[in-house]
Amino acid sequence: MSFRGVKVPANSASLEEARTRVFDFFRSACRSIPTIMEIYNLEDVVSPSQLRTSIASQIRNHSHITNPKVIDMLLFKGLEELNNVVEHAKQRHHIIGQYVVGRGGLVQDLGMKDQGASNFLKNFYDSNYF
Amino acid sequence: MASVLKGALKSIRERGLGNFLRELREEGYLSCLADGNLLQTKIHNIGATLVGVDKFGNKYYEKLGETQYGRHRWVEYALKDRYNASQVPAEWHGWLHFITDHTGDELLMLKPKRYGVEHKENLSGEGDEYIYHSKGHSLNPGQRDWTRYRAWEPTKP
Amino acid sequence: MGLGLLASRALRSSRIFTSPVSRNAIVRTIVSTPELQNPEASAAAQSPPEDLPIRTPVAGARVEFTNPDDAIEVFVDGYPVKIPKGMTVLQACELAGVDIPRFCYHSRLSIAGNCRMCLVEVEKSPKPVASCAMPALPGMKIKTDTPIAKKAREGVMEFLLMNHPLDCPICDQGGECDLQDQSMAFGSDRGRFTEMKRSVVDKNLGPLVKTVMTRCIQCTRCVRFATEVAGVQDLGMLGRGSGEEIGTYVEKLMTSELSGNVIDICPVGALTSKPFAFKARNWELKGTESIDVTDAVGSNIRIDSRGPEVMRILPRLNEDINEEWISDKTRFFYDGLKRQRLNDPMIRGADGRFKAVSWRDALAVVAEVIHQVKPEEIVGVAGQLSDAESMMALKDFLNKMGSNNIWCEGNGMHPNADLRSGYLLNNGISGLEKADVFLLVGTQPRVEAAMVNARIRKTVRETHAKVGYIGPPTDFNYDYQHLGTGPQTLTEIAEGRHPFYSALSNAKNPVIIVGAGIFERNDKDAIFSVVETIAKKGNIIRPDWNGLNVLLLNAAQAASLDLGLVPESEHSIESAKFVYLMGADDVSLEKVPSDAFVVYQGHHGDQSVYRANVILPAAAFTEKEGTYVNAEGCAQQTLPAVPTVGDARDDWKIIRALSEVAGVRLPYDTLGAIRNRIRTVAPNLLHMDERQPATFSALLKPESGNKTSSTPFGTAVENFYMTNSITRASKIMAQCTAMLLKK
Repeated sequence: MSFRGVKVPANSASLEEARTRVFDFFRSACRSIPTIMEIYNLEDVVSPSQLRTSIASQIRNHSHITNPKVIDMLLFKGLEELNNVVEHAKQRHHIIGQYVVGRGGLVQDLGMKDQGASNFLKNFYDSNYF
Repeated sequence: MASVLKGALKSIRERGLGNFLRELREEGYLSCLADGNLLQTKIHNIGATLVGVDKFGNKYYEKLGETQYGRHRWVEYALKDRYNASQVPAEWHGWLHFITDHTGDELLMLKPKRYGVEHKENLSGEGDEYIYHSKGHSLNPGQRDWTRYRAWEPTKP
Repeated sequence: MGLGLLASRALRSSRIFTSPVSRNAIVRTIVSTPELQNPEASAAAQSPPEDLPIRTPVAGARVEFTNPDDAIEVFVDGYPVKIPKGMTVLQACELAGVDIPRFCYHSRLSIAGNCRMCLVEVEKSPKPVASCAMPALPGMKIKTDTPIAKKAREGVMEFLLMNHPLDCPICDQGGECDLQDQSMAFGSDRGRFTEMKRSVVDKNLGPLVKTVMTRCIQCTRCVRFATEVAGVQDLGMLGRGSGEEIGTYVEKLMTSELSGNVIDICPVGALTSKPFAFKARNWELKGTESIDVTDAVGSNIRIDSRGPEVMRILPRLNEDINEEWISDKTRFFYDGLKRQRLNDPMIRGADGRFKAVSWRDALAVVAEVIHQVKPEEIVGVAGQLSDAESMMALKDFLNKMGSNNIWCEGNGMHPNADLRSGYLLNNGISGLEKADVFLLVGTQPRVEAAMVNARIRKTVRETHAKVGYIGPPTDFNYDYQHLGTGPQTLTEIAEGRHPFYSALSNAKNPVIIVGAGIFERNDKDAIFSVVETIAKKGNIIRPDWNGLNVLLLNAAQAASLDLGLVPESEHSIESAKFVYLMGADDVSLEKVPSDAFVVYQGHHGDQSVYRANVILPAAAFTEKEGTYVNAEGCAQQTLPAVPTVGDARDDWKIIRALSEVAGVRLPYDTLGAIRNRIRTVAPNLLHMDERQPATFSALLKPESGNKTSSTPFGTAVENFYMTNSITRASKIMAQCTAMLLKK
């Protein structure tokens, strides 16, 4: 399954058209989730719905953008990324790092424990070298 | 063909039917009914001379004369159900492939005792535990330990 | 550097000479510069240069003229140079900025003059002279880069290489070999030797020094080192001619605590380090200039590391402390840094087993427990390898918790921290060379501080100083008088009844050295007051000479006393409920109550971990930056050479983090901030590499009324090779103990 043939049309004429394109993109991304789960062996780390949430949140990150040209550009980037993922151009840890664990890192839930701690203590828990 | 039947009848007479059947199975005559390769080898074997048997039990045959040149040496593998060319040890390889006329038994004399290693067949596809992993590979049981210090063991008294 | 300069100079001059002669030089002989065939003519052709470029002395060589009348002037390659009378030609050349190649000459050893590599031409001398053995005479005209000198060196080098094996690729000296370097610089480009090379049987010198005697060039540096510096008559020269070899005559091990230094002074690969054999090449190693912590001397060392491993330890030159030697313990204990390391914080569970936990959990447990006990039940003990910064942090932390029971092991329960002169080597280590009478009280410097002992031995050898010793029978490598074993002898001397008293009082610069083993005695104050009486009577403490010394045992002791790590009460450990051990392995934990909570912070699983409830892994001295004060009061710094192992942290960082978790946050976040804090307590710790002598002498102290007990002095160090947690983990040190200490 390859998106190589898929091309972003020249420009969206209106915001409305850009919006439908975004939904189309989201749908195609959701459809490729089972494939992604299979080729990257993600069954034991993530569920399809979590991946869907992750994709949706990436799209929502840009929800404030109203310029159709910018939306087209972002869509193109998204499509490119999806293409790379589906073509197995990435490795498992890329997917896990970017879409499963996220930017916060594996220890994001521990942030609550160190509230009120100084930077020294936070660094101390991380490593000896700071 | 007639001589084959005669020989078979003779061995039934000598050793009884049960022993004959067991031998048939062990020698792979039964599996050659399903395995054309083996069957052809068995037919080929008729009238051939057994040149040698290696330590795995592979039998090396030669038939000069009416055989086509290049097909006059062959091996009957010890394993009748799962055989491949990597089961031929190095010493017999040369003889089998017409590299040399020395048989494997003769070449075995030249094998260095001190550092010559045992022949190992290629076990690819047989499972991770059988195939070779380099010393850095995580599946190598004797994986090299790259930590440069020994930690204190709390279990000691 | 120096050799390279000289080599390039030699090349330059040879180029000048080659051009006219090469036209008629049809047959190329072994001598790479054919004009050497006719040295007289070429020497005559050379006229003194008109304008001389300025030359700087080799390796910063300097000379002090004690008596200006003794100065003589010699000319080195036409340069006039002023030197004191009695200097050798080689030393004059060094002052003139010419590095003379040499093998047998070593500035700290006697002159042998047998390698002949240092041949130079002296005007009006018929033959080239060995510059290391030739005293310089007034007006001498020395020529170091004439064809004669060059030919002489080339010839000597050819003779040396005649029997030298060509195994540089498998030789451990490769890359730092004098013979290799000098044959590149001064040797011929081919050899004429076609016969069989000589071979010599290797000698077994013990677990430290590996010998490949075929490589030996008979420079006898090791023989001279052993007899002169180490003070053992083990090595010697056997045979003559090509049968000449270095050996022990009868097969025996080299039982000296300085034997490792023969590895450094051997110019070739004949004597190399056995533990380092085939481990690394010297150009792969990263050198870190650091300080030794195995004893209180604070020898300057270079830690050679490759990646995360310490590969070897070499001495660094420091004239005031260790000259250029280090003890075997310092040189070879480094393999202990790789064994028995604590790498994860651990908590002892209810079943008595340790479980690895995260730093968060470990610190939380310690912080919870420390709040449950009464302040006076908190005790902190700093170990003998602790640096000043972490001791400062520990003291501040426990003080904030309300406890003042912090001390450093080895200091005893009543350390005299008020007067620095009461615990320092007031003469300084190099100052001991001026002494003419030594009185060693309860100290065996050979095992307690091998470099101090080497200094005493040097003094005894040079000035025939008298040495009196009070203590248990022991082994010295110089002449000494065994005066007695206990404090009674000391009292006799103080009362003037002992014959040694007259030697002491007649001496010009008498020195008393008191061992730190006495700190642990109950009658410590009484002994010190007796010693002070002797000092007063013998006029040992004068404005210009403070001869009353204390020889400390451990690297942390001086800094801990400077920082005032003094326990408030003597029996605090018997009633302790919370014991914080910062690397303290020699503290006796039997007295700690069984319900006490013991935290062990350290880098080795040694003796105290087995009693610990929580283990906090810390960095060893090769992995952290820390300040150590040595026995003479000189603050020096270690630098991290390798990364910490596992999840370990620097000592001060652990205490700083613990203080925050416990709710009494220490106000420093960086090493610099701790040093600012130290500045308010003991500013002398910040004057790096500079001896800070004590300002007041111990005589200001009031006399104590205690009586000395009659118990004889004990030995402070039972086993020279195993004194701290790192050395006890070391395999090499265990081998040394097994092989060298058996009597």
